[in-house]
Amino acid sequence: MSLAQALFIGLLQGATELFPVSSLGHAVLIPSLLHWSFRQSDPSFVPFLVLLHLGTATALLILYRDQWVVIIRGFFTAAIRGQMKTDSERLAMLLLVGTIPAAVLGVFLESRIKSLFASPYEAAGFLVANGVLMLAFELLRRRAERQAALSGESRGEQEAHFATAERISFRAAALVGACQALAFLPGISRSGVTIGGGLLAGLRHQEAARFSFLLATPVILGAGVLEVPQLFSSGVPVAEYLAAAVLSGVAAYASARFLLRYFRSGRLDPYGWYCIAAGLAALALLHFSL
Amino acid sequence: MKSSSLAVGLGVLGVIFIILAVLYAIGVLQILTSTTSGPHYKHAVLFAVLAVASFVAANFARPKTA
Repeated sequence: MSLAQALFIGLLQGATELFPVSSLGHAVLIPSLLHWSFRQSDPSFVPFLVLLHLGTATALLILYRDQWVVIIRGFFTAAIRGQMKTDSERLAMLLLVGTIPAAVLGVFLESRIKSLFASPYEAAGFLVANGVLMLAFELLRRRAERQAALSGESRGEQEAHFATAERISFRAAALVGACQALAFLPGISRSGVTIGGGLLAGLRHQEAARFSFLLATPVILGAGVLEVPQLFSSGVPVAEYLAAAVLSGVAAYASARFLLRYFRSGRLDPYGWYCIAAGLAALALLHFSL
Repeated sequence: MKSSSLAVGLGVLGVIFIILAVLYAIGVLQILTSTTSGPHYKHAVLFAVLAVASFVAANFARPKTA
């Protein structure tokens, strides 16, 4: 992989990681469609992607640095006391409960997931499925809004009727966390399924995005840190990959800021339609070898 | 849900997770791993996290004195 290619994928990964459009799907599909010669099944490709994820996780840590300080303090306070008294303590425990299913499934499904990386056809198919999922989440949300008789209200007023991340139930947090495991399939978006899960659990769009970003940070960071030694041992151009990871982090930071603003009144639909269109276009291009 | 027996059960589970974490870290345990030899740090870290979660849950389940 050349420096330009590494930087391009870094930018692409960072820009698409937090959007509900599957960064992994794009990272598998686009090099294939551009006929780049490096092999995505190469042992250094997965650690490279993980390094890019590390850039994203760093961006999220910077974005939520104040909240993470409060959450970590809340975790230790509640863990030692054996009781949750504040919202930050509850959020810390919700994040722990949400992280465990994703971590368990990630560790034990790793080898199967890696074998799926090789096929851009599967990535394109899963991208279409991701789009359908996003539309389904919004369909269910609109139904909930109709049932609550919110149809006549503005988007801002509608959103105000739903909950903040701290109010999600522990069962819902575990389910949303487990949904993260779907994102190990290239084409299925981690942020998409977790934001969607948050919406089903009754969160506001912006709060579902915040919970999704907070939930993603320990998993991405943990997976990244554990893969870094593999990156160094496989003789890959570390400096080039690090530059790509920095670019990825900058793009992820900008994306997160944009999305948090967008989800004050925006919905998942545009991303759903984009995924369906991009997935179908990729399948056609791959099929006709264009 | 507060119960002494539940708290003890979760504490025991935490100890089991710690043992599993150590066994994966030193390469004795190879169950559900992609390779059949060597240490498995990812599995070890996972079980260490599960142990912490179990101890936290045990502390939550422990009946508190007023």
